[in-house]
Amino acid sequence: MADTETHPDSREAFEREALPHLNSVYCFARALTGQDSAAEDLTQDTYLNALKAWQQYTPGTNCRAWLFTICRNLRARQAVRDQREEPADAAELESLASAALHAGLSESDPHGGFLDAPELGDVVRAELQKLPEEYREVIVLSDLEDQSYATIVAVLGVPIGTVKSRLFRGRRLLQEALIEYARDAGLVPRTGGPR
Amino acid sequence: MIDCHVVMKQLWEYLDGELPPAESDQIRDHLAMCARCYPQYRHQLAFLALVSRTAAATAPRQEFIRRLEAVLASAELDPT
Repeated sequence: MADTETHPDSREAFEREALPHLNSVYCFARALTGQDSAAEDLTQDTYLNALKAWQQYTPGTNCRAWLFTICRNLRARQAVRDQREEPADAAELESLASAALHAGLSESDPHGGFLDAPELGDVVRAELQKLPEEYREVIVLSDLEDQSYATIVAVLGVPIGTVKSRLFRGRRLLQEALIEYARDAGLVPRTGGPR
Repeated sequence: MIDCHVVMKQLWEYLDGELPPAESDQIRDHLAMCARCYPQYRHQLAFLALVSRTAAATAPRQEFIRRLEAVLASAELDPT
C-alpha cells in the first residue's frame, strides 16, 4: 500500500530523516567519549535506540537534537555525571573572564589574527578532548553543531544558566590553551599587553 | 546607552544570537562605535569560526558507516 511506504513511522522515513545526521552524531559521540572506537559504539547504540523509538519522534521537529538527546542519555548511563546547578551569575562572570583574557593580547593581536593559523584546528581538537566532559558536550552542541541554548537545555536536561556557564567556561579554557600554544609557537608575543 | 561592562557580560549571548532583538541592537550599535569592545568582538568571532571549522574534520570511518547501515538493516522497527 502506497500510504504505508510513505508513512512517517516507516523505516524509509527513519533513513531519510535520521541517517543524514550520522556525521553530527558521531562528532558529538567522539567529543563525549574521546575515542574513535567508543564513539563508534555510542553512535551505533544511538541509532539502534533511535530506530526502536522512531514512532516517538515527531516528524518535522529537530531530528538532530532528538538524536543528540538519545546519544547523551546513553552516555550518561555509562558515566557518573555532575548534575549540580551553577550559580545564577556564573555565566556573566565567565563572559567577563574571557574579556580579561583578551586584554593580554590587546596590543599584539587585538583581533585574534593568530586564530587563522592552519595548525590551530588540530590544537582545538586536542584541547577539546582535555576539557571536562560537561564543558566539551556543550561546546560541541553549540559551536560545532550550531544548536540553540534551548535545544541544548532539552538535550542535556540542565537549566539554561548551567548551559551558558558551562559553555562560556569551556570556551574560556579552550581560549587559554590556544593562547598558550600561540605563545609557545611564536604566533603571538609571550608578553602581551601594554608596554 | 549601555556601557562596555554590560557589552562584555553579554558578548557571548550576542554572538550566539540568543539575545532579544532590542538588546542585540543595543550591543551591535555599541560595538560599531567602541574602539575598546570591537576588537574583543572580532577576537571572539575568530575563535568561534576556528572551533566551528573543526567539526568538518571529525567524520566517521567509511567502514563504520557500512557496518552501521548493515546493523540497522537487520534491526527491527518497534511495532508499538
